[in-house]
Amino acid sequence: MAGESEGECNRTNAFVVSARKRAMQNVAKRAGEGMLFAVASFVAVIVLFIFYFVARDAVPFFQIRGFSEFFTSSNWYPADDPAQFGALAIIYGSLMVTLGSALIAVPMGVAAAICLSDILPFSVRQYAKPVIEMLAAIPSVAFGFFALVILAPLLQNNGGPLLMWAWWILVSPFMLLAVIVISDLLTTKITEPKRRQQLHLFFMIFLGLLSVFLLFKVGTVLYGIQILTGTNALNVSIILSFMALPTIVSVSEDALQAVGRDIREGSYALGATRAETILKTVLPAGSSGILAAVILGIMRALGETMVVWMASGNSSQIPEPWFNYLQAIRTLTATIAGDMGEADQVTGSARFHVLFAMGLLLLVISFISNLVSERIVVRQRKILSGQ
Amino acid sequence: MNIGTRKILDRSFTAVGIGSIIVMAVALMIVVVPIITNGIGAVFFTGTVEHRKMLFSEFKRGDSENLSSEVASSERYRAKVYQMLTGFEAELETMAPEQKAEYQAKYTQVRAALQALLGPLPGDPEPMLTRFKYGQTRWEKAEEKLHDLLYETRWDNSNPEVMAKEYFVSRAIGFQGTSLVKLFPYVKNNLESMLLPEFTCYWGFITDSSVDSHFFGGIWPEIQGTFFLAVGAMLFAFPLGVVAAVYFTEYARPGFLNSMLRSANSTLAGVPSIVFGMFGLAFFINTMKVSESKSVIAGALTLAIMILPTIIRAAEEAILAVPKTYREASLSLGSTKWNTIATVILPAALPGILTGGVISLGRAAGETAPIIFTAAVSVGSAIGLADVFSSPTPALSWNIYNLASEHEAAAQIRHVQYGMVLALVSIVLMLNLSAIVLRARISKKLKG
Repeated sequence: MAGESEGECNRTNAFVVSARKRAMQNVAKRAGEGMLFAVASFVAVIVLFIFYFVARDAVPFFQIRGFSEFFTSSNWYPADDPAQFGALAIIYGSLMVTLGSALIAVPMGVAAAICLSDILPFSVRQYAKPVIEMLAAIPSVAFGFFALVILAPLLQNNGGPLLMWAWWILVSPFMLLAVIVISDLLTTKITEPKRRQQLHLFFMIFLGLLSVFLLFKVGTVLYGIQILTGTNALNVSIILSFMALPTIVSVSEDALQAVGRDIREGSYALGATRAETILKTVLPAGSSGILAAVILGIMRALGETMVVWMASGNSSQIPEPWFNYLQAIRTLTATIAGDMGEADQVTGSARFHVLFAMGLLLLVISFISNLVSERIVVRQRKILSGQ
Repeated sequence: MNIGTRKILDRSFTAVGIGSIIVMAVALMIVVVPIITNGIGAVFFTGTVEHRKMLFSEFKRGDSENLSSEVASSERYRAKVYQMLTGFEAELETMAPEQKAEYQAKYTQVRAALQALLGPLPGDPEPMLTRFKYGQTRWEKAEEKLHDLLYETRWDNSNPEVMAKEYFVSRAIGFQGTSLVKLFPYVKNNLESMLLPEFTCYWGFITDSSVDSHFFGGIWPEIQGTFFLAVGAMLFAFPLGVVAAVYFTEYARPGFLNSMLRSANSTLAGVPSIVFGMFGLAFFINTMKVSESKSVIAGALTLAIMILPTIIRAAEEAILAVPKTYREASLSLGSTKWNTIATVILPAALPGILTGGVISLGRAAGETAPIIFTAAVSVGSAIGLADVFSSPTPALSWNIYNLASEHEAAAQIRHVQYGMVLALVSIVLMLNLSAIVLRARISKKLKG
């Protein structure tokens, strides 16, 4: 009897202990989860802090000087007395190199992404991916050094011939293609085979001569160009496009891969060639993802500091005429990096705060474009999964 | 369109894609190859006796007996140059004042060129800067200086339409009829005997400190600074990143809060690097006062924030790549969730997490903008481990910028700049290559 009750008692005790233990475990689990959450939300806290601390030092500038001078004047004389803080030319310089690098990097990047996702066999792709990763890994200061020490003298001394060769090599295949396609398109309506062939040949020759003439004419014009300074917007745009390429390629490749097989197979089944399949079905389906990739790549070019600081010439002026890529420019990032050292000694002055205003501008632009690209990717995923 | 055209279009479409990949590979080559070939020149080059003198007196390295015999043999040839100089100086005294002034100006240039080539000449005061204590230490530079001695550089401005053209005039012609005219062919023919060029393998470039702002010596302080900054950043970011990734993959429930956190992560990944630098200055240094002014710790914290999103993403991917069966097997054996994560999932995901870590380490090592305001100084010696909380450090990335753009004699120390770029690029690419290899292994292993 006693033993039995003891056993009973033990059992109850065991039960009680385990309940307490379970409660303890529960608390520990909650606490652990809370800790994990705290660490994970650390990132969000940092983002808020970055916004707060950059804005805190940027706001005094607008309080002292107002908005209009910063955005509308291009007189940047921060060291003069009275100082002038017109950042228009600097903002324009940033936009200019960003646009220039996008013009080079977007077509190349999208073509490479298509090639990686749809054209190359897997065995080749394995070797192409590391090349892109290496390009992404090279530090920006090494690119900047290359731009300053190798590319700038090259542009300055042999700028004209280099531009001519670049024009010929890049444009002539597309010209040839255009001639073939246009002459084909012009003769599709004609039904009589013999006449059609004759006309086709005529158009080929006519358009061919026209394009050769154009190639040479523009080539000679380019050959005659003298580049006065090698550290200019063109140099920086080329290098920045190298830096933006890996982002564009890898993100848009992901977007193209997300476009399912069924869409491609449907297109092939209708008799389309590979190029037609890609251009007319895969690209439209993946277009929003590619747009997101382009935004991310452009942001990389806009936020890049070292290359533009070293190789853009750092002269705060809007080029004359406005699309002249062969002149020196200055960007937001380079201004921040270059002027902070001189402004730091007089913390509290407008000269210090104007740099934070520029930083805030960059931060806001990058924040918005990030949100936009994220939205786009989410929407594409929803559409593709058919929800 | 007819079939033929469609086929051509299809083929050329493929060609454009492949072409753009080839362009990328070529771009990589064009950037990397000159950096490698010129960078190697910082360690392997044809050094002159001046280089060995410099090594002996600045770093106490080299065989003194050997060196003194070399110096003696080179001095034998140099003595004749000095003799010619004193001879000409005596001749100058005998000239008419007008003629003397004319020759004096030219002679000063010749002397300067000789000083650059051979080091201080007899009778010169002891130079203040180390860079003027020695002649040319590298043979290819000596050849350039020889050209400067033999020819005067002039600019042709006759045509205002085009840029001025450079042309050279032989200095010997200017001294026609004086005793100095013999100097030029003599130096040209006996330069090798005066400088004793010899293939040199200067590993000290990696392990020495610099002398006289990188004119001589190596880049050890920079390498060490880069190491401190990158490893310091990893120490902060890696644990945080892995823990956050565990939360995101294992605990986070889909909802508003979670999507906010994820947005924050991608926002942080997109912040321009220079803004991180400003934040580091405004927060860590001006507000938190982790140090009086720039310091390694402030730079490392700033870099840590910058690489955090990359680490989180890589760790998340690695954890998600662990097969579900692992988790289910562990849970079915009665282990708790936390136990499963700590003993099954994290070990299985570890190589993938490490890959992400290694790539981030490379990024932290290569990044410049965040450390400009927070940690980097242009000149400085290697700091001890105890100084990381208080003192700034030179770092490879910052000093490449500084030497190439702001150094007062940037064009004269190109070999040091190339050597630094090569050091940085090879550190970063090595880290990335090892990550690529590691990843290839993992995918093989996971496939079985």
